[in-house]
Amino acid sequence: MTDLDYLKMSKGEKLVHNAGKWIASLPKKLLNSICAIAMFFVNLVKKFIAEIKDIVMTFVHGDWKTRVSFFIMGFGSFARGQWLRGLLFLLFQTVFNMYILFFGGAYLAKFATLGTIATTKVNRKTVYGDNSFMILLYGILTIFFIIAFIYTWRANVRQNKISQEILKSGKKLKYAKDDIASLADSQFHKTLLALPTLGIFTFTVLPIIFMILVAFTNYDATHQPPGKLFTWVGFDNFKTLFSSGSANYGDAFGQVLLWTLIWAFFATFLNYFLGMLVAIMINKKGIKLKKMWRTILVMTIAIPQFVSLLYVSKLFAADGLINSLLLKWGWIKEALPFWTKPSWARVTVIAVNIWIGIPYLMLIATGILMNIPADLYESARIDGANAVQTYGKITLPYMLFVTGPYLLTSFIGNINNFNVIYLLTQGKPDTLGNAAGATDLLITWLYSLTVDNSNFKIAACIGIIVFVVCAIINLVVYNLIPSVKNEEDFQ
Amino acid sequence: MKKLLAVVLCLMLALSVCGVAGAEAGFDGELKIWVAEAVVDFTNAQVEAFKAANPEYANMTVVIEAVGEGDAATNMITDVEAGADIYGFAQDQLARLVAAGALIELSEENAAIVSAENDGGSVAAATLGDLVYAYPLTSDNGYFLYYDKSVVTDPTNVEAILADCEKAGKNFYMEINSGWYQTAFFFGAGCTIEYGVDNEGNLVSCTCDYASENGVKALKSMIELSKSPAFVNGSSASNATNIGAIVDGTWDAVAMQEILGENYAATKLPTISGYQMGGFGGFKLLGVKPQVDDAKLAACDALALFLASGDAQKARYEAVQWGPSNLEAQKLEAIQDNAALAALAAQLEFCVGQGQYPNDYWSLATTLGDQIIADAYDNATDDELLAVLQNFQDTAASYIVK
Amino acid sequence: MAKENLIPEVDIVIDQEAGVIREIKPEPKLRSKKAHEKRVNGAIYAILIAMSVIWLLPFILLVLQSFRVEYGGQVAYVIPKQFGLDNFKFILTETNFPRWYGNTLIIALFNSVLQTVIVLSVSYALSRMRFRGRKLFMKSVLVLGMFPGFLTMIALYTLLKNLGLTQEGAIPGLILIYCASSGMGYYISKGFFDTIPKSLDESARIDGATRFQVFLKIIMPLSKPIVIYTILMAFMAPWGDYVFASYVAFGKSDSYNVAVGLYDWVNTNDFQGYFTRFCAGGVLVAIPITALFLMLQKYYVEGVTGGAVKG
Repeated sequence: MTDLDYLKMSKGEKLVHNAGKWIASLPKKLLNSICAIAMFFVNLVKKFIAEIKDIVMTFVHGDWKTRVSFFIMGFGSFARGQWLRGLLFLLFQTVFNMYILFFGGAYLAKFATLGTIATTKVNRKTVYGDNSFMILLYGILTIFFIIAFIYTWRANVRQNKISQEILKSGKKLKYAKDDIASLADSQFHKTLLALPTLGIFTFTVLPIIFMILVAFTNYDATHQPPGKLFTWVGFDNFKTLFSSGSANYGDAFGQVLLWTLIWAFFATFLNYFLGMLVAIMINKKGIKLKKMWRTILVMTIAIPQFVSLLYVSKLFAADGLINSLLLKWGWIKEALPFWTKPSWARVTVIAVNIWIGIPYLMLIATGILMNIPADLYESARIDGANAVQTYGKITLPYMLFVTGPYLLTSFIGNINNFNVIYLLTQGKPDTLGNAAGATDLLITWLYSLTVDNSNFKIAACIGIIVFVVCAIINLVVYNLIPSVKNEEDFQ
Repeated sequence: MKKLLAVVLCLMLALSVCGVAGAEAGFDGELKIWVAEAVVDFTNAQVEAFKAANPEYANMTVVIEAVGEGDAATNMITDVEAGADIYGFAQDQLARLVAAGALIELSEENAAIVSAENDGGSVAAATLGDLVYAYPLTSDNGYFLYYDKSVVTDPTNVEAILADCEKAGKNFYMEINSGWYQTAFFFGAGCTIEYGVDNEGNLVSCTCDYASENGVKALKSMIELSKSPAFVNGSSASNATNIGAIVDGTWDAVAMQEILGENYAATKLPTISGYQMGGFGGFKLLGVKPQVDDAKLAACDALALFLASGDAQKARYEAVQWGPSNLEAQKLEAIQDNAALAALAAQLEFCVGQGQYPNDYWSLATTLGDQIIADAYDNATDDELLAVLQNFQDTAASYIVK
Repeated sequence: MAKENLIPEVDIVIDQEAGVIREIKPEPKLRSKKAHEKRVNGAIYAILIAMSVIWLLPFILLVLQSFRVEYGGQVAYVIPKQFGLDNFKFILTETNFPRWYGNTLIIALFNSVLQTVIVLSVSYALSRMRFRGRKLFMKSVLVLGMFPGFLTMIALYTLLKNLGLTQEGAIPGLILIYCASSGMGYYISKGFFDTIPKSLDESARIDGATRFQVFLKIIMPLSKPIVIYTILMAFMAPWGDYVFASYVAFGKSDSYNVAVGLYDWVNTNDFQGYFTRFCAGGVLVAIPITALFLMLQKYYVEGVTGGAVKG
């Protein structure tokens, strides 16, 4: 196919063509990425060997200060007058040793089995045995700590080598005063990022790794610490999750996953187009009180969702105000099953979500619409385009072009939109079995499995699935977006 | 932070060592109790009475926090360690709590006292296998019929109630998509569903005969009920706006009196399709969590026994109208005169003490109820209904393998 | 927002010969176009009015019910039979509501300060400085963001408990959780910093200013919209958190936030007839938040628009 053929195609055809090309190139890409991963490991091994070599050479060529530093971290820095660095190294080593000795070591030792001593009773007094939960959690923490220690120890060794070389070449070392000063300047990023990174590590990375590992254990209602032990079971939970049959989760899982994607689709695109439409209407010349309309719509953003959504959920209930009034006026004979019939409930949550979601899109679209160059519209008008054509040729492509990445994040966000579903329906009606309801997203199902059913192992598996789904969507879209971008290019 | 953890851990160790050393006579540490908000003040007063009666516990610190029965069970399961030492819960949570290691069985002496003094249903509800795990507090967690005297002329059968409600433009409320209320039909028609539980709280067997002629009869009466324009799914007074009649429990008695005013009336459940509706009898229980210290355990045992005693139950009825499980207390005149409790007592004879059910059972039952409400079975033949129930029964039985 | 006036509503041309601006009288054809325009505008007004009703009605109902004196459950009418402040009086004197309100306010205040400092620090570092691990940091945050947050709940709870920050300590505990991972939300403000020309930094650095001084004296004063946006978001978020807040408070009523306290009133059997009280509580929560939001709306719009455009 020539470039000319490509240029002749309509937008839809181009998209299909590009998508097809992308899918056709998948095997090659896959191969490439496998090669890349292999290369990565080869390089890693090479790097590792180089590091070891460097460490050994540092020891061999090092003076006594350097050599002592291999065992007492920071010694060399102290001996060379860099007391701040020395102190930090030494402090870290002390804390690390204490930690392993008094706390982490015991947990790490049991990490492979997650504990073997069962809880027993002496008369009626309870004597607790191993706590698998703590062993898992602090085992991971200890591994983190060990990795951090190795890294710091390596830095300590390198520090000695560098200092030794600097001194040999007759230059001056950096002392405490320089170090502190640099934290506000050349090393300012360390000051800025130290606490946030520590926070993310402790309160996000550690718990996530913990829960990923839980997916490979039998941690559930009948294996709950501190009274009971749990242990590693390999991929059993994933088998349960994917197989169908009443004792398994496969049927419910498939339906929840499908609904999650349908929901995310509507919640994202319906809101997107309606929000844009509202923005265009309000921005249309000749419409007065623009600010007032916007302010009214924005109310749903301003009022905390737990107030507005809880209220709305009661409003639509079988005996809520809407049904009661309709019945009283004789418009209906029987309460409308807003939350009780699966199909109704699904439509209702999407509708209520429009109520919540349009204002965001309206605000975003308003900002963007004002940035569309006025001369584009001018030339369209001269060409005799009507409103619909202007919209299709200019407004929509421009919006899509500018907000492409936003649509992606918003789609991912809707897959994880806990609040709207939980506050409105809590996932009900429960028609799918396995504690899953017709309006349950993967994330709300995960929540009820955790909180109401103590089924941590399956919940952890679902969490991993959510990640995989999000990652796949991200990868696919990122791979497609460049082509979309080229195509929509305005220049 | 890690150091802090280590210190905390050491401290805890040291404390537990001290605890063992200082065992035997009395206890003067801290005890935490979780009860529903409505009885916090009442429980406070009872604890003071307990201390006055038992000088060896006079120096004990008792902290009482308002945690509803549902939350108490969930919280205890989340974290036994931080949970209360004594807590109130609804009996359907018993197996879950035992399995999570959040309940200690009663001492033999206390078990004997409890078994002798409380009604059989409540004791059965507090028992797993052959161990009694909790102290019955009330025998009022069942459901019956409230109705508006000016609307419903004949509260003895559902057909008449529905006709009256339709005529008056009022509604008949019953939460048929709940595994709890649903048994009114199945048990009434002569079916059973029951799970056997071992001493540890694990489910070991399932007896269910829903896939039978009786089961189909029950299912058909539910479908018929759901077809009536006056029927609304739901059994919560504060969510019901147009009550002609409602199947609900004693916890809504005050709200119902307020809503219906002088037309307020309560009675046992009606008949439907010619059979008397049955259902679950429900109970509130008081549990003690496993303790690592003998002295504290003894204190918990003594206090829990006191709070669940006949005198305490009488006082509790007088304070907050909770219907007692204690046989002596049930004879109280005021209780005999209470319309809601009288209705409950009349219904009790058709009820089965609620045993232990896996969580999956509740969502399975909700699924069935939701399908009925969604009109999925409106035109089904008997054979199709039987197939639905067979599937229900098989699924219910399959929870045992897990 | 001024662009809407750029295109005048009547066509005007400059009459060269007369040297004055003359209004062209609409030709008949144009007049029909105008009528069409009018009809379109009328339709738009109708839609906007209908939308406004749908958007406002639930809130009006909420307010009406909060003033209802009679029975507090669901009823089948809109206008209360008797208006009064009973519900407000009740929740302010008879319940723990003032305490929950205070808790939430404290969390929100601390959160808005700490989270803003953290978010701005991270964004500045990522936008302005180039260092080893920068790409890694950004990629890791992207990957971590794809895990559902609730997955971490039980592990977080245990960590907090070991620090003594649950139950009685739930308030600082929640502040810690909210802030600890807030560095992951750098996206929007980094996008904003990226738009500030680097030449500003460079000239200041040539004059001898340190990075820290540049951050404080040059970037911050230019970043008022994004600072206010970040503060606003950090202040509003804690008011709606139910899941983590109830988990961490662990049955300790004194440590609840408003969402946890009020949620119980609607969804537990222990609180029959509390619906109008929930409405009253909801009104008390919504009024200050809404007022604040509407006041700072301009900055919010800048934030979300910037965030959406830069992705």
